[in-house]
Amino acid sequence: MAPLASHAYDLLLAGALLWLAWQATHAADLFRSVISFIVFGLLMALAWIRLDAPDIALAEAAIGAGVTGALLLSALGRLTSAPAEKPAATRRWPGTIAVLALAATVLALLGAAAWQLPAPGLGDAVAGHMPRAGVDNPVTGVLLNFRAFDTLLEIGVLLLAVVAIWSLGPTPEPLVPAIPSPALPALGRMLWPMFVLATFYLLWRGTHAPGGAFQAGAVLGAGGILVILAGARPWLTGEDNGPWRWLLSLGVVTMLLAALSTTLIGQRFFEYPESAAAGVILVLEITAAISIAMLLFAAYLNGQPPARWRGYPHS
Amino acid sequence: MMSTDVHIVIVVILLLNIVVGLVRILRGPESADRMLAAEMFATSAVAIILILAVTTSSPALMDVALVFALLSALAVVTFVSRAWSALNPPQPPKHDGEEDGP
Repeated sequence: MAPLASHAYDLLLAGALLWLAWQATHAADLFRSVISFIVFGLLMALAWIRLDAPDIALAEAAIGAGVTGALLLSALGRLTSAPAEKPAATRRWPGTIAVLALAATVLALLGAAAWQLPAPGLGDAVAGHMPRAGVDNPVTGVLLNFRAFDTLLEIGVLLLAVVAIWSLGPTPEPLVPAIPSPALPALGRMLWPMFVLATFYLLWRGTHAPGGAFQAGAVLGAGGILVILAGARPWLTGEDNGPWRWLLSLGVVTMLLAALSTTLIGQRFFEYPESAAAGVILVLEITAAISIAMLLFAAYLNGQPPARWRGYPHS
Repeated sequence: MMSTDVHIVIVVILLLNIVVGLVRILRGPESADRMLAAEMFATSAVAIILILAVTTSSPALMDVALVFALLSALAVVTFVSRAWSALNPPQPPKHDGEEDGP
């Protein structure tokens, strides 16, 4: 970029991000906070692109623009019945000063830590081992081969979050309007195939370019939320929940199986045999994407779809 | 080179557009105004990302734009759905056990 224009771009982006972060946490109106947070995610993706991290920009786009907005807006819809209590607007200077001092200390520590990071990082080590990774995209290689254990834990965290949401019990109010707005069914029918297509595309891209299981799963999960809002009633219902629990835990179970079977054939934990690495990673990607999509969908449905879509049409 | 400079200026103007539009988030006055502003930002961001994909010749950015274009519909759908529920309050369910749908 030309220096002047790129400086202007960076300044505008950074200033807007700071302002939106302030709005998201301090706006008097909750709806304004939610919208500020959605726009924050949008601009954050632009910032990741500016920092040459298209993988993170893609993940931010998939999660921030999709599921997060839907989750926050629907949670807000259920909050409105509760009386809004305004906190007393008394200024307590000692508290503010303490918080500011703490924030400055954390910032200084983070800055010191970032300053002392080894200069080339681990990029060369990863690049050196890429021929043995089984995929061409270094990010996928790190996520599903070199550091697959971290990814197992991350999917585990998502599963735990859904279990925690599920344990809160069924939602007191219907998840979706009994009669969807007339424009929505047509929109859902038109967009759902696009969501499925984009999911497969991102999954396929993940082996050689930015993309992969997480982004694909996030797009598919968002598509699921879109179609139930548009009046579709998924088949995953019934008293025993059918394959619901298995689909939610599919990602963690498959990764654990892969890890344990490597120890059975004499390799180290999570050390795939070099010849089979590509196949193992493909299976892990597909199962992780399905599982992540179902987990995000489940987070929106308070854990599981209603046993019967009671009071809903077309059940 | 000339066209690249023009692209950069367009990108800055689009971002400036978003920053000016933030006034709508602050002022409102209605929720719908804020939601529409957020959608305008999503469209501008898609345009910015597509221009950056061309100028930096990194086709991976096109995927980011694709995901944004696809998913920005979801927040609006949730919003519309919520407003629609407010207009059409659900009938209170009967408490006689087995009801057989509408």
